[in-house]
Amino acid sequence: MSEAVPQTEARTLKLTAPWRERVFPNNEWVLLVVILAECAVFSLTGSNFLGGGNAFEITRLAVEIGLLALALTPIIITGGIDLSVGSMMGLSAVVFGALWRDAGLPVPLALTLALTVGALGGLLNALIITRLNFPPLIVTLGTFSLFRGVAEGLTRGVENYSGFPAGFLFLGQGYVGGLVPTQLFVLAAAAVGCWWWLQRTAYGRSLYAIGYSAEGARYAGIPVRARLTLIYVLSGLASSLAAIIYVAHLGQAKSDAGTGYELMAITAVVLGGASIFGGRGTVLGTLLGLFGIVILQNGLRLSGQPAELAGILTGVLLVATILLDRLSTRARARPARTQTFAEEEEVRNSQVAVLSAVILLGALIVAGSNWMLVRSVKENAAAAVVGAGAPGPNAARPAGGKKSVVALMPKAKGDPYFVSCKTGADEAAKELGVELLWDGPTDLDPAKQNEVVEAWITRGVDTIAVSVENKEGISTVLRKARERGIKVVTWDADAEKNARDFFINQATPQGIGYTLTDEAARITGGKGDFAIITASLSAANQNEWIKYIKERLAEKYPELKLVAIQPSDGDRDRAFAETQTLLKVYPQVKLIMAIAAPAVPGAAEAVKQSGRTDVKVTGLSLPNMCKPYIKEGVIESIVLWNTVDLGYLTVYASDALASGRLKAGDTSIDAGRLGKIEVAGDEVRLGAPFIFNKENIDRFNF
Amino acid sequence: MKIGRYKRELSAALAYVVLLLAVGVAAPMFFGAGNLRDLALNNAPVLLVAVGMTLVILVGEIDISVGSQFAVCSVAAGWLAKEGVPVALLPSVLLLGALMGALNGALVGYLRLPSIIVTLAMLVAWRDTLRWVTQGEWVQNLPPNFQWFGLGQTLAQWLIVGIALGVLAGFSWMLRNVGAGRAVYAVGSDAEAARLAGIEPRRVVFGVFVLMGALTGLAALLNAVRFSAVPSNAGIGLELKAVAAVVVGGAAITGGRGTLVGTLIGAALLGTIGTALTFVGINPFWEKAIQGAIILAALVSDVALGHFERMRVGGLTLNTARAAK
Repeated sequence: MSEAVPQTEARTLKLTAPWRERVFPNNEWVLLVVILAECAVFSLTGSNFLGGGNAFEITRLAVEIGLLALALTPIIITGGIDLSVGSMMGLSAVVFGALWRDAGLPVPLALTLALTVGALGGLLNALIITRLNFPPLIVTLGTFSLFRGVAEGLTRGVENYSGFPAGFLFLGQGYVGGLVPTQLFVLAAAAVGCWWWLQRTAYGRSLYAIGYSAEGARYAGIPVRARLTLIYVLSGLASSLAAIIYVAHLGQAKSDAGTGYELMAITAVVLGGASIFGGRGTVLGTLLGLFGIVILQNGLRLSGQPAELAGILTGVLLVATILLDRLSTRARARPARTQTFAEEEEVRNSQVAVLSAVILLGALIVAGSNWMLVRSVKENAAAAVVGAGAPGPNAARPAGGKKSVVALMPKAKGDPYFVSCKTGADEAAKELGVELLWDGPTDLDPAKQNEVVEAWITRGVDTIAVSVENKEGISTVLRKARERGIKVVTWDADAEKNARDFFINQATPQGIGYTLTDEAARITGGKGDFAIITASLSAANQNEWIKYIKERLAEKYPELKLVAIQPSDGDRDRAFAETQTLLKVYPQVKLIMAIAAPAVPGAAEAVKQSGRTDVKVTGLSLPNMCKPYIKEGVIESIVLWNTVDLGYLTVYASDALASGRLKAGDTSIDAGRLGKIEVAGDEVRLGAPFIFNKENIDRFNF
Repeated sequence: MKIGRYKRELSAALAYVVLLLAVGVAAPMFFGAGNLRDLALNNAPVLLVAVGMTLVILVGEIDISVGSQFAVCSVAAGWLAKEGVPVALLPSVLLLGALMGALNGALVGYLRLPSIIVTLAMLVAWRDTLRWVTQGEWVQNLPPNFQWFGLGQTLAQWLIVGIALGVLAGFSWMLRNVGAGRAVYAVGSDAEAARLAGIEPRRVVFGVFVLMGALTGLAALLNAVRFSAVPSNAGIGLELKAVAAVVVGGAAITGGRGTLVGTLIGAALLGTIGTALTFVGINPFWEKAIQGAIILAALVSDVALGHFERMRVGGLTLNTARAAK
């Protein structure tokens, strides 16, 4: 091997290196190629992908993660990491909201204080890392829990600050010059500043030195601790800034802001060629990595591809990028400093076998996803030909004979509740011959919902139907959709009234809360203790129901006592464990009310395993999940509506609206197999919540 | 008995004892046999994953993809059971886990890609693949002999806890007394020195990831059989629980130092807090904050107890991974 080229020579070579190596020291051009390829593919498969409007919309979505990624770039260059950035967003958002609303401070002051909190959190990280010499990974893993936990503790998970002044919301929702999203300027300024600081000042260069060797940098007279302290403080500050923009973007501040953003940001930085071991990385690379991911997500969405593909492709891209980098580094014989054991190229048969296996497995994954991609691209191309006459969002209304496009969004795609809604929606779409788009966040994520609606506006659909996770946040973008001539309905959970044409109402929070309470009273005979297992403590829906449950208890069942509310995070196993504990701590409890679909079977299993036949379970869940327990008598009853019908009705109403068969003032709508459905004002009513029990459960299969 | 060697484990154990004492005073019924059994059962899967994570961290790597692997293995266990292969269930799920681990191990060990990036990619990729394939559907209508392996609740519960503790004890013994176990420490302390001493670091790293995957598969299976249906979103956040347990148990994230006894204490400590809070009657809103504080406190207590060894002459151990070596 020609690996004898000494390091110094490689360094001097670099000064006279061609421009390509100077601009792209870490092969960032690969990303540029990837981005161009993405653009080329998506401009063919996606509707309205290539447009100035979409380009700017993409950047709006990238700002929060972009700020985090920019803050992480210097940290990763020094060989550190900061996992707490996403949690810090949650904490800053909550602090900002509380200071503004509860303490009554003016926005600029609240904003400054929130930024201060960010800086202080960063300082906490910095002090433990630099003074106590602990690995950043572990320290920030601790503060990752700590910051989010404090945010949840401060708000009891419930508080949702909204109603911010328009001037502030302009920061996250407005356009400068009618086209450029306001927050893009923040990102641009941060990127340029960061680039100049990192790559054009001695201070920034010293961070690279620290990344190469902290010890060496110290001997060279660089105040390592002070510099590291600064970059962690800056990271906290940037997280706060990202939180402020997030709040302005969504119009709400809640403790779950920025959940999971740290992984996205780290992915962007590493994709951009930074070495996780330190010493390498550029701002340009980070930005390219960021846009590589964001364009991929946006493009898949506009092409009507499953959002899951984005995760899979990002993962493959990530491994492929570092693999390519590793191989090309080897080829160019630049002594890679990241490797730990001496480079020894004695390749044995066993290693060849392992390598081949890995390559084969990787190829299989890529081939698999490509196959799916190609298959759906074909379908799309066919659809595109059909819909070719209707380009541009304003021409959303198709001429006669064209397939109408209904875009249906759940709160979370993987949630069994919404999966069953989709069954009905598919059925209706088939009957009506409309094209159904089904997309949304994979987990509850209000920011993602906005992103999907933006993509649909760009794509130009006929009707958008949303199950709203966050009323304040999504209403602005839904109004924008209406301005562009797209019909908007909400289903399952409503937005602000002027943001949609109709609401497909299956049950009001009040109706659910009251029905649950009445059912609890029936089972317990109106007196005794009961406990609630909720979704997460910050789940908006559940908190609303709990409010009405308490209201109903106070007014009608004074002898029925709610003793505890425990979270399950929508995780069956957690609900199981929490119920076990509840049964021991409150042995007098006669009823467990679980108000999240996966929590009911979890609670039922716990009751069943405890052998406590005197304790019953009720709640809000899906029949199929609970069927065995209902038959055994562990679950007394569950409250729900027919979710399949809900999806069915939503698609029927959406199509009727798009074709003009449903207008304001109508009192009923013809909904296929459901017959005539009542329309009251601007609400389409599915009917009252239904109680499933031993007698009727077998009639339902969803 | 060289107590000095186990100072870190001791400080975690001390914290655990303090916690237990506090709970014992405030809510003595915490120590009911039923509660202890349930605690052990609920934490057995985390413990198994943490055993694998200890090995991975000992060689100076990290695996944050275990939560997604756990979900994949759970769903696969459900599917296999539905297809009617109860006998082959255990080996096939272990094999599936080991294969996913082997992919990580090959990329990290042989191609020497940074483990945090590789497993970050796998975390996202496996989770989304599973979401795509299952579309969120649970695996339901499992054959009746799936739950508790058809053994009955009491027997199977003992079996699950027994397997978890047996695996822990077995690996603990091997880490101390078997060449392969010592090789894990050697590679984690200094891969180059280990290589010069005749150990093949790549193979050790590869093997450790394979074990990690297999243990994740085992944990997923043992967790799945406690129920009569398999959810498609299991194991979210499991990686953080496992890493936290290992670190609170005194292992160095930079590799080469740590024991499975420490991991057991760490897992017990973190696994008890949530339940203990409910017993004492503290609002669950603060649970996450308290967990974070405990992780930080475990770090700081190292210093406070005066056992902190400076790992480098200058005292700077700034890099996340082995780069500083």
